[in-house]
Amino acid sequence: MMKVTTKDSLAAWLDELTRSYTLIAPKAVGKQILYKPVEASSQIIFDFAKADLPAKEYFLPATQLILAIERGQDSIELREPSLQEERVIFALRPCDARALRVLDALFLEEEPIDPYYAQRRERSTLIGLACSEMGEECFCTSLGLAPDDASDVDLMLMEVEEGYGVEVVTEKGKAILRHLILEEVEGSPPKPILRQGKVPILETEAWPHCFEGVYWARLADRCLSCRLCTYVCPTCRCFDVRDYETANGDIERLRAWDSCLAEAYRRIAGGYNPRPTKVERLRNRFYCKFCYYPKDFGPIACVGCGRCIAKCPVNVDIVEVLDSVAVL
Amino acid sequence: MNERIRAKARELLESGQVSCFIGYQEGTRGKVRPAFVYEPQDVERLIWDERCTYNLAVYLHQFNTPPKRGEQPPRVGVLVKPCDSRSLNLLLHEEQIQRERIYIVGLTCQGVKVNGKLQERCQRCSERVPLIYDLLVGEEPKTVGQENYADVATLEGMPPGERLAFWAREFDRCIRCYACRQACPACYCVECVAEQLDPPWMGIAIDLPQKQFFHLMRAYHLAGRCSGCNACEEACPMNIPLSLLNRKIAKEVEALFGYRTGQDAETPPPLATFKKEEELPL
Repeated sequence: MMKVTTKDSLAAWLDELTRSYTLIAPKAVGKQILYKPVEASSQIIFDFAKADLPAKEYFLPATQLILAIERGQDSIELREPSLQEERVIFALRPCDARALRVLDALFLEEEPIDPYYAQRRERSTLIGLACSEMGEECFCTSLGLAPDDASDVDLMLMEVEEGYGVEVVTEKGKAILRHLILEEVEGSPPKPILRQGKVPILETEAWPHCFEGVYWARLADRCLSCRLCTYVCPTCRCFDVRDYETANGDIERLRAWDSCLAEAYRRIAGGYNPRPTKVERLRNRFYCKFCYYPKDFGPIACVGCGRCIAKCPVNVDIVEVLDSVAVL
Repeated sequence: MNERIRAKARELLESGQVSCFIGYQEGTRGKVRPAFVYEPQDVERLIWDERCTYNLAVYLHQFNTPPKRGEQPPRVGVLVKPCDSRSLNLLLHEEQIQRERIYIVGLTCQGVKVNGKLQERCQRCSERVPLIYDLLVGEEPKTVGQENYADVATLEGMPPGERLAFWAREFDRCIRCYACRQACPACYCVECVAEQLDPPWMGIAIDLPQKQFFHLMRAYHLAGRCSGCNACEEACPMNIPLSLLNRKIAKEVEALFGYRTGQDAETPPPLATFKKEEELPL
């Protein structure tokens, strides 16, 4: 038995949700599909493979004011902006949802807890949408996920003949379900089509043996040294924090995305840079994902979404890197 | 053509004339990628076909520094299409590369394709033979395109408010990943204004004002220096029509100064020179 809802009922329910929540859903923006706040279900793209960017920005915004220092008459006011709204994120793919669990390991499960991230996590309900097949660049199954993995969302939807199959995963998911018209039907949702074969993922302990050697230099030859792969990645999470004076003399403390691919990222006082060339910087991206992050925080910092593969202008292909490192 | 390219690359590497040959090779998933060949036995990797859109001139910067203090920078061989050759001329003029340190294998070109589609810039392209080379490979080109700036004219036809809204919408998608800048042969500042922290011209915020400032600044820095290779737009993960902006400026520069980027290595770009008696015909 499974619970199903029709496409029309789902749309009506989503419209209902917009009355009490900020609904964030896949939306056509130019030629792209991005998770954006929508006012009505009619703005949502239901038939899509993967959004061009993950939903990371709703938890770790590209730019975020974390402290405002404001001048009063004869006092100074400190103001910490907080998220007022409750959010529902609709049609999150399992990989993008897993990515949030990966980020939790750093931001929530290690002291100090990141209050900005924690608040956004707490005030968001995640509705997953299972993939019916794996995209060309997808390799989630190599990282312990499945295209219909429901373990990281509050509510899971799967495309079925009648419309969408609905699986309640958490209490939070149950709470928003109230107005959705559901019907019990026989059968179970179709299994996604999986690609055969897996990408070899080297054990954390094995990575240090591959650190030296000319492989990384030859890989980095064509790297343009931009930040693209880290900014389209659902698990890259580096940020910078700086204070700026506004036009009226107040101070704003901003936190914004940063990237280990940037030349100045690792530069320290005095000008010394332990990762002086793009060779060390590009290598770091892979080491961070498969060696440092799992060692320090637990999970591998890659969910196999394949965005870096699809978007890299010069065909730096993480699957090819993993294949190569396995035989180094 | 592939055989001639490989034979030349082999000869250059074997004789020690170059220590690296930069060309194209098969990548993953049906894509091609830039190739860096260091050993003569590896030249078989080199290919040239209509998928080879990359402007390889961008990679010459990384060979500018000598491997060790006191040593000379390496000599490199590079494959260039006609459009890329204009970038080479610009870089030669700006003394970013030394002519004697590069061996240029020029390719005649009938246009390159992205996702199987002939690029628009190639349909407009009037240069089918590189403007500078040591060896020319390929057949005499059959057709020549004609630049008419039709898309720029459409943009110019918009009322200012609409045009502003158009660009704000396009730039708003920018994620400040700098792929455009990094793919551009003419963007080679050691420290970009966008990343300078002292003074913090732009700051770290990834918001519309910074995005707009970055793209407009970059477009102006490229005024009279952009060769229209489209590498920026192809690198952009967010589909921002950067070439439209660059072409608008190229059109103005051509109209004002009768100058097209990179026609030779001698003529200075108009905005890099100043004559006392100069007056803008505005």
